[in-house]
Amino acid sequence: MEHTQQRVVHANVVFGKQDESHLISEAKQGNKYAFRQLYDMHIGRVYALCYRLTGEKGMAEDASQEVFIQLWRKLENFDGQSQFSTWLHSVTANITISYIRKQKGWVQRMFNLEASGIQDMPAESQSTDIDLEAMVVRLPERARMVFVLHAIEGYRHEDIANMLDMAVGSSKAQFFRAKQLLKDYMGYDDA
Amino acid sequence: MTMRNFEEHLSEQIDSLATEKQPERDLFRGVELGIEAGTNQVKKTHGHGVTNNQWLAIAASVCLVTVIWLSAPLAFKTESTQTDTYALIEALSTQQQQQVNSLLASYESTPALTQDWQQQLKELDDAANAVKLALKEDPDNSALIKMLHHVYQQQIALIERVHAPKWQQI
Repeated sequence: MEHTQQRVVHANVVFGKQDESHLISEAKQGNKYAFRQLYDMHIGRVYALCYRLTGEKGMAEDASQEVFIQLWRKLENFDGQSQFSTWLHSVTANITISYIRKQKGWVQRMFNLEASGIQDMPAESQSTDIDLEAMVVRLPERARMVFVLHAIEGYRHEDIANMLDMAVGSSKAQFFRAKQLLKDYMGYDDA
Repeated sequence: MTMRNFEEHLSEQIDSLATEKQPERDLFRGVELGIEAGTNQVKKTHGHGVTNNQWLAIAASVCLVTVIWLSAPLAFKTESTQTDTYALIEALSTQQQQQVNSLLASYESTPALTQDWQQQLKELDDAANAVKLALKEDPDNSALIKMLHHVYQQQIALIERVHAPKWQQI
């Protein structure tokens, strides 16, 4: 029985991947219905990453749309060597970072970094029932992006430095800063 | 409310984060519009009739014509223009010879005033041939052309002078 169940699960995974491959192939040929299905399959992960990187619902929606518009145009670049979801995730991160850069001017970004309201945010009691998502999106921009990419998405600091056009040391420093802010926010004492 | 290790707590919270988050509205309509806008832009670009390959072909043609335009004089000018110039000189010589023959024919019954005019004419003829030989090597040499023209004028002047002196015309 257990053996049968394992086989069924395995078959679903295989068929699922075959379906996705077929949809990708169809979308590459210009089939918008197939592309819509790909959208439905991946919008959740794409939007989650966009939301955590931008920290704002409106920007996350715009960035998500931009990701899928670019995906339609660049789908031919996907050679099938890696998993589609992994490739799409990387595309999403890069497009969202570019989108944030475009949306915020240099001056705004420079001043907005330190002008975050995180310092005024009241500390919560140490509870297991905290909303980490809400805390993350309220982190200062660079600290938030580094934290999301490293702690949540698993990128190395070297890759993050390259993506965000900063030094590796800066990426590590921003990550430390993000953790310190989250620690404070969760109500932990430094001691 | 127990004090827990922050790193451990954070790690647990990260692991419990949802991998997916659905947007509050359907974003696909905007995606469709973006795709259509991009497609129309591409169509417009193609609609103007000149594709990248066509531009490449036009550029190649322009380059080819330019190269031919620039190199043609170098390749053909020497031969063709030299040949053309020397042909003109030959034509001039032929015309000169016809004029000389015509004048001599007209003065056939008129006695010459000097005896050695034919020797002078022969010397001028030799001079003309020498200049022509030089022009064959250097057809564009304007000094030689002027010299040949002057020699031919002297030939005509000599024939007229010995057969129809000015004082006789008065």
